[in-house]
Amino acid sequence: MLVLRRRAGESLLIGDDIEIEVLAVSAQGAKIGIRAPRETVILRKELKITEKQNEAAAQGLGPSDLERTLQKLRG
Amino acid sequence: MPRHVACSVPGGMPQVQTRYFGSMTYREESVFEFPAGLPGFIQEKRFVPIEVPQHSPLIFLQSLAQPTLCFLSFPILVVDPEYRLAVAREDLLALALNPDRQPQLGTEVAVLALLSFRDQLPATANLMAPVVVNLKTQRALQAIRQDQVYSHQHPVQPRASEQLC
Repeated sequence: MLVLRRRAGESLLIGDDIEIEVLAVSAQGAKIGIRAPRETVILRKELKITEKQNEAAAQGLGPSDLERTLQKLRG
Repeated sequence: MPRHVACSVPGGMPQVQTRYFGSMTYREESVFEFPAGLPGFIQEKRFVPIEVPQHSPLIFLQSLAQPTLCFLSFPILVVDPEYRLAVAREDLLALALNPDRQPQLGTEVAVLALLSFRDQLPATANLMAPVVVNLKTQRALQAIRQDQVYSHQHPVQPRASEQLC
C-alpha cells in the first residue's frame, strides 16, 4: 500500500480524473472530499463488506443441513 | 425481543411462502419494514421474523417478496452478552429514534446479528452490521458501525444459544 502524508487542504490525484482532498482532520476522523466522474462508484468499504456478507448469509442452509447445523450451534 | 411467532393457524391472516417451513400465516404488524432494503438486497423491504420453539433463540428473517430468501439471525446478546450498540446518528434518524443517545436494547429496539454458514467452518455472526428494529414502528435497517470494534465474521460459539433466553 502506498502511504502518503497529507494535511488539510492538500489533495491527491488518482489517474487523470479523480481527485481526493483532505478537507479537515480531527480526533474523530478525516473529512475527505472526492471529485470523480459521475459514473465512478464510491462506497464506504464497510458497505461493500456488508453487501458481500449479506450475500453469504443469504445462502443460508439447505433444509437437510438446518437441523444438523443448528444442533451443532446448540453445542 | 420480538415475540411475534408466525404460526400455521388459519383464519384470514396473510400467508407467506417460507424457505424452511413451507407456507405460513403471519401477522401484518409483526413485519419488519426496511425502507432502504439491506445492502446487497435493496429491493427487499419487508421481512417477517419467524421464531420456532425447537430452534430458539434463532430468528428466521423471511423475505415476503422472495420465498427463497431467508436470513438466519440471533438476538445480538446471544452472540455477545456484552455487545455495545453504536448506531450512527443518521441511522437513528432514519429509524425515528432519538439521535442523541443509543437506544435501549430490548425495549426500544431489537438488534439481530445475521448468521453465515460455510461448509465445515463455524457459523459466524455479523456484529459489524446488525439489523436494528424500532420496536414501536417495526421500522428496521442494517446499521453499519463506523468503528472497528466488532467483526463482520464473529465466530459463534456452540452453546451461545444457552447464554440468554
